[in-house]
Amino acid sequence: MAKKVFEEIRGIPDPILEGISNGWITHDAGDYTEHATLEADVAIIGTGAGGGTTAEILAKAGLKVILIEEGPLKSSNDFKMDERQAYKDLYQENAGRMNKDGSMSILQGRCVGGTTVINWTSSFRTPEQTLQYWGENFGTKGVSKDEMAPWFEKMEQRLNIAPWAFAANENNAVLSRGADVLNIPWKVIPRNVAGCWNLGYCGTGCPTNAKQSMLVTTIPSAMDEGSQLLYSARAERLIMDNNKVTGIEITALDKGYRPTGVKLTVKATTVVLAAGGINGPAMMLRSGAPDPKSLIGKRTFLHPTTFSFASFEQEINPYYGAPQSIYSDHFQWDTVDGPVGYKLEVPPLHPALTSVLLMGHGEAQFEELNKLPNLSSMISLLRDGFNDDCQGGSIELASDGSAIIDYSINDYLWEGVKRTHLTMSELQFAAGAKSVRPAHTAAKWEKSWKASKAAINELSYSASRAMVGSAHVMGGMAMGEDLDRCVVDSNGKYHYLDNLYVIDGSVFPTSIGANPQLSIYGMSCRLATGLAEKLTGKKLS
Amino acid sequence: MMNTPIDQALSTTRRGFLQLGLMGTATLALGSTVATLTGCSSPLEKNSEYKFLQANDREFFAALIPVVLNKGFPGELAHDEAIKRTLLALDDLIYTLQYHNRIQMRQLFDALSMAPIRVVAGASWASWKDMSHEQINDFLIGWRDSFIQPKRNGYVALSKLIGICWYAQPESFVSTGYPGPPIKIPTPVSNKSNITYKTSTTSAEHS
Repeated sequence: MAKKVFEEIRGIPDPILEGISNGWITHDAGDYTEHATLEADVAIIGTGAGGGTTAEILAKAGLKVILIEEGPLKSSNDFKMDERQAYKDLYQENAGRMNKDGSMSILQGRCVGGTTVINWTSSFRTPEQTLQYWGENFGTKGVSKDEMAPWFEKMEQRLNIAPWAFAANENNAVLSRGADVLNIPWKVIPRNVAGCWNLGYCGTGCPTNAKQSMLVTTIPSAMDEGSQLLYSARAERLIMDNNKVTGIEITALDKGYRPTGVKLTVKATTVVLAAGGINGPAMMLRSGAPDPKSLIGKRTFLHPTTFSFASFEQEINPYYGAPQSIYSDHFQWDTVDGPVGYKLEVPPLHPALTSVLLMGHGEAQFEELNKLPNLSSMISLLRDGFNDDCQGGSIELASDGSAIIDYSINDYLWEGVKRTHLTMSELQFAAGAKSVRPAHTAAKWEKSWKASKAAINELSYSASRAMVGSAHVMGGMAMGEDLDRCVVDSNGKYHYLDNLYVIDGSVFPTSIGANPQLSIYGMSCRLATGLAEKLTGKKLS
Repeated sequence: MMNTPIDQALSTTRRGFLQLGLMGTATLALGSTVATLTGCSSPLEKNSEYKFLQANDREFFAALIPVVLNKGFPGELAHDEAIKRTLLALDDLIYTLQYHNRIQMRQLFDALSMAPIRVVAGASWASWKDMSHEQINDFLIGWRDSFIQPKRNGYVALSKLIGICWYAQPESFVSTGYPGPPIKIPTPVSNKSNITYKTSTTSAEHS
């Protein structure tokens, strides 16, 4: 019988509540009963990896900053490691976000700190091949490996990023063990943690503040400099005058995420869009921002992610311990722009999320979930956006102005999905799995690699058969000097507005080929430093 | 709280859906017919504790939940309480979905509440509450294995939604063997500052 590793967590100070108590300027938009106008030098829309990083740099450069966040302000006292509460408080659409046809689940953050509050802490520099591809295909400047290295280094130091120094949990050890048997190279994942308790609840908001998310690092630092934070506040549209943004129209939201009926206005001389690859482009489309080539919201990438489950004799306890600590890029870079490459990792398995990933129902699914302590899973992240047959999805607007994520898995990607199932199944058997089942509605538990291989080769690959999810939203506001493909220049400035900058993962012209948080931090650090220097006229060391 | 009209049932949707069905496509083309559907009045009961799920929808889910969850249900709860808990969680989740996917849900539920559409869709003429577990399971399997993508999408959406809403409930943990998370004891914060900002409600909410 599986047992709890920790019974109780107490005595953790809450840095957000302390900051508020010490006089931080925070506004809950839901509290306003009538229109109000807030002002700053720079308004930053979004408080995730891009917005948080930018806020600290601009505030420390002496600029008056206001951070605008659609989600609520939650902090470590609220983080109870409870899927129910976390999905409701911290995730877009209650963790039910889907693509247009409902065949893909998309996990994305929605709170102060954005996805950094709920990600699994994996921190990789943008691969050199990806950076080179951007330069060659999009005219993106200043992003070579050498040019980016100092920015990554800076953010690695800021967020305490280092390879996980402790033993991998059993769930991750399946990957390294299987890889060793098959002679496949693997590595330890660098994580942004300080004093991590190895609990396993990164995905429900770190209860000990060990995860160096924006919520406990750059945002407090920006707030200490006198920045304002406006939350439960949806940036509805930009207010524009000729080629300038003069303000932002804000819709105040109640605790149920619906408009209270009150509108606010934020005025700023410079606006930074950092709302991610879905809500950012949607806000631009709602605003009717100039976009002569209709490129806003195009080239949306998701790292389509596939799953394979394995059952073991021994307990895996896949819900405990650092959720991601082992990876392999063995299948990632055979070619840069040929058949799709993929990164191998492991997901944590808490019961609600697991029930979604298993793709099934009834007695068969009960039998799987009933053995959760002995279950392990592996994932493959497909590197989308590097091939002519893989141009990503697009963001559209519903009639109420909200985003629709039109992303379909085409034959190019399905071919990759099938390969990932084969790879993961072989690795899991090599690691000693008793039986293996890829997350596919027609797949059964097989007891040998040979049987599994034969079965996978017979499966039909199409939407809502194989489980395909995403936890990485990238693109939609491509960065580069090629005006036929890009809307943001290499300094992050929107090509068609004088004082609008885009600083987040939406500027990536392809997917990253790795969990994107450090790519966003590094890029944001570069862009925000450039912006701070431009606005203050001072050179920042 | 402001509801958009789409949170409410749409008689015109039903007609649109019915036409699609009778045209022989046998499709649950989840989308596109809804653009015209504004201004419909709410069929949610007055003072309902639900924000999205109407009586018909709840009847539908109440029938599906035990079949989808099988022996994973009702965990440590009594049957009726477990149904109620799952329904409230489903209501909260679907209500929070953005417009487009909320419409798809509305269409799906509306369509499946009508006997002729149910038959076209591969379920029984009988109302959901009168169907046997076997009938409901056959319907789910039919959709899961269908060649028609919207049916498969429907299967995936329904099974995922029910799963995430139930297995997040602590009373379900007995059926998975999940020992559960540690208990978190929050740390109170004393008010060190005399400055009154516009943040008073924030502090109150968190204290």
